[in-house]
Amino acid sequence: MNIIFAITTTFSIIALIFINPDAVLSSMLEGGEKALELTIKLTAVYAVWLGVFKIMENCKLDRKFAKLLKPVNKYLFGELPEKANDYISLNLSANILGMSGATTPFGIKAIAELDKHKNTDYAVAMFFVINATSVQVIPSSVLALRSSLNSSSPADIILPTILATLLSTVIGIVLVKVFIKKD
Amino acid sequence: MQYVIPILFAFIFIFAIIKKIPLYDSFVEGAKGAIPFALGIFPYLACIFILNYLFEESGISAFLVKLLSPVFSFLQIPKELCSLVLIKPFSGSGALGTLSEIYTTYGVDSYLSRCASVIYGSSETVFYISSVYFVNAKKRNLTKPIIISLFASFCSCCFACLICKIM
Repeated sequence: MNIIFAITTTFSIIALIFINPDAVLSSMLEGGEKALELTIKLTAVYAVWLGVFKIMENCKLDRKFAKLLKPVNKYLFGELPEKANDYISLNLSANILGMSGATTPFGIKAIAELDKHKNTDYAVAMFFVINATSVQVIPSSVLALRSSLNSSSPADIILPTILATLLSTVIGIVLVKVFIKKD
Repeated sequence: MQYVIPILFAFIFIFAIIKKIPLYDSFVEGAKGAIPFALGIFPYLACIFILNYLFEESGISAFLVKLLSPVFSFLQIPKELCSLVLIKPFSGSGALGTLSEIYTTYGVDSYLSRCASVIYGSSETVFYISSVYFVNAKKRNLTKPIIISLFASFCSCCFACLICKIM
């Protein structure tokens, strides 16, 4: 992240000095503003999901649910600490169902939980790649946008999307299994 | 699909009532975590957004699109979709903007638009995940996972363009 940030920002600033020096600060401020806007929106989303999740936790529903996914997780990530398994299960199911607000808090908690244990590099890499290649089954934002523009059949992209996203996730999983050592 | 979340919530709430869990107290306890969570994420989001805006404003992203379009057309990705493919790993909202632009320019049911929909839906904002998910974590070297994710997402873009020709 350090390298990418350094290269892109430095080059952009240098280019802008020649094209339009005023735009440097204004575009940075605009970026900050957009980030703040999103943060406020996310606060509301997290309040809902973390509230509901606490209820699940208090009645041990999360644990029951995570047990269902345990075999899948074991195949993908190897042996997982129990708490990490819970969060990973919740993150993955939220991803699959397209609850985009819920994935982030569970993702952050899962990685923080994995951090407490040794030798989790492989599990973290796998978890990251699965999230980054997307496992969403229903592309809800695309569907909404298409129907709002009066598409004749907004849903005809569902099957190709599922196939494409499945392909990227499978490629990702295979590459992690090949290139990253299990510790 | 619109029933999934309501039914899930209703199920959890009813289950909690049966188990005699104090709903209000639990909800408040959980929601308390929202602000520290969002505060932790803010600096990372700010960095990504600032990067995006600088990159877009400086014309470097447009230049890259031009530079890479021969490579893309070699891989059967139409040149009109280059900017979508390139922006997707950096910015979800930027990609959504590009997507709706493609819809309005080329017509929502055209090959290009269907192709763009599949590209948009088949991958995630890789750099958002690589920064935000690791907010509370120790420093890790993510180079390999990032390269793997970008490569896999790119493969699905090529695949998307192929499959939209058939389906």
